[in-house]
Amino acid sequence: MATVLIENLTKIYPPTVTHPHRVQALGGVNMSITGNVFVAVLGPSGSGKTTLLNIVAGVETPTSGSVRAVQDGVPAQVGYVFQEPRLLPWRTVLNNMLYVKDRKSDRARREAEFYLTMVGLNEVAHLYPSQLSTGMQQRVGIARAFLVNPDVLLMDEPFSHMDALTGRSLRDYLQRVWLQTRKTALFVTHDVGEAVELADRVLMLRPGGVIFDEITIDLPRPRRADDPAVKHVETEVLRRFDSMEAVVRFGNQPR
Amino acid sequence: MTYASGYQDIPTLSGPGMTALQSPGASGSRRILRHPWVVQVIAVLVIVVVWQGLTVTSDRVPSIEKVLSFLWTEISGGSHGGSLNGEFWGPLGLSLQRYVIGLAIGIPVGVVLGIVIGTSRWARGLLNDTTLVLLALPAVVWAFLAALWFGLTSTAPVMAVALTAIPFVAINLSTGVRDIDPGLIEMSKSYRVSRRNQVTDLLIGGTLNNVFTGIRLAFMTGWNSLLIVEWFAATAGVGWRARFWYDALRYAGFVAWILVFVLLITALDRLVLRRLERRSFRWNRQATLTFGDDWDGVS
Repeated sequence: MATVLIENLTKIYPPTVTHPHRVQALGGVNMSITGNVFVAVLGPSGSGKTTLLNIVAGVETPTSGSVRAVQDGVPAQVGYVFQEPRLLPWRTVLNNMLYVKDRKSDRARREAEFYLTMVGLNEVAHLYPSQLSTGMQQRVGIARAFLVNPDVLLMDEPFSHMDALTGRSLRDYLQRVWLQTRKTALFVTHDVGEAVELADRVLMLRPGGVIFDEITIDLPRPRRADDPAVKHVETEVLRRFDSMEAVVRFGNQPR
Repeated sequence: MTYASGYQDIPTLSGPGMTALQSPGASGSRRILRHPWVVQVIAVLVIVVVWQGLTVTSDRVPSIEKVLSFLWTEISGGSHGGSLNGEFWGPLGLSLQRYVIGLAIGIPVGVVLGIVIGTSRWARGLLNDTTLVLLALPAVVWAFLAALWFGLTSTAPVMAVALTAIPFVAINLSTGVRDIDPGLIEMSKSYRVSRRNQVTDLLIGGTLNNVFTGIRLAFMTGWNSLLIVEWFAATAGVGWRARFWYDALRYAGFVAWILVFVLLITALDRLVLRRLERRSFRWNRQATLTFGDDWDGVS
């Protein structure tokens, strides 16, 4: 069983030429995720969401605190879906998939085709990314993340660059694949509806990188964004953000 | 630019394939004038006309006819008068041999240097400026240095070609390495992509564009410096042969060899380099087009 354990995680970026002040991206984040859960981290721009995922993925190092992503005692394999598709433009869709695997292996090829089929893209496996729409490219990104058979699935606002309709259909794809695999998922977003639609748990992050609240969502899947029950939770989450802002704005002691 | 099929099948302006290019509604004669082959023929005609015009105004410019007949005497091994006989394949073969060896040394060295400069900040500080200076040196400087160091041997032209090629490949490749999208590097890191895949797909795939530009420039400038070294410091080869006729005041011979020189480099670029390049850039047509015109219409 995969576990992500984050303790007192802080990340401070030193001043640079373009940002003359030091920036606190994460201010002591604690979280513990175990098992086949889908966790969303919800927060506005600049609340350190991407930094959090990058540190879990091992792409960035923390200033202080610790992050452990383990599967049965060994470092967990991570599947990362980025904001942009991040595909190699000079490789075909299939070869982009195989880039993260051993390309010579027949098994890897079969698995790649399996996941491409699951996101409805097996037909275009031989095309180059530039020949696909952004939505299709992002589906390749999702298929790639599942292809490595990840213990932990990280997703960084994967649908934020999409139009509303494309985003909706991609969320459906994601739910479908996730329901079949049930990987431990950490999904960051600034979209309240998206977080509530997808997640079992929503952690709420405020600027400065502090988790100020969380909510557990126990609704049947697959969910639809326009479901009244989903809308109800959405309203509740928004209310908690509003009260957090009121606290910050009026200078009261944070909870 | 359109890529109508059958471009290569069209032998003349009035060939049967011509109709395939005429879309309904477009003016026929205009289409013909825009056809890549026609444009090239026009360009050659302009050169011929200007050349012949100069021939009339100055006796220092040999006529096309004289140059071609001189060239034929060289190729066929006929007599130039006196005890002088034509020589063509000997000098040409020797020059090509030197050229190929020079590039075979220069390009790999340039590639290694480019990767080192592109990936290591320390190496960049150490080597980048030096390489830029080398890049700025005209081919003629290399030619003289090589002649100075290696004397009148084949080593001088070979080294001049290699030394000219190295900075072109190195600088272009190092730029390519540095320009690799950091997002893709992060992606590779988070997926723990194997080193082998990173080299073949990310490093080579991502810099192929720059490698090709570097190699093309290396081919061009290498050929130039070869000729210059041979002109001043060799006892055989294309450059030496051109100088031989120049010194003998046989301008037709001099121009004939210059013509051979120009035709060779053009043919190499058209028939080999651009085709290779186009083959490697199927993923992105735009990348090929930025290297210049696309007149030969190979698709």
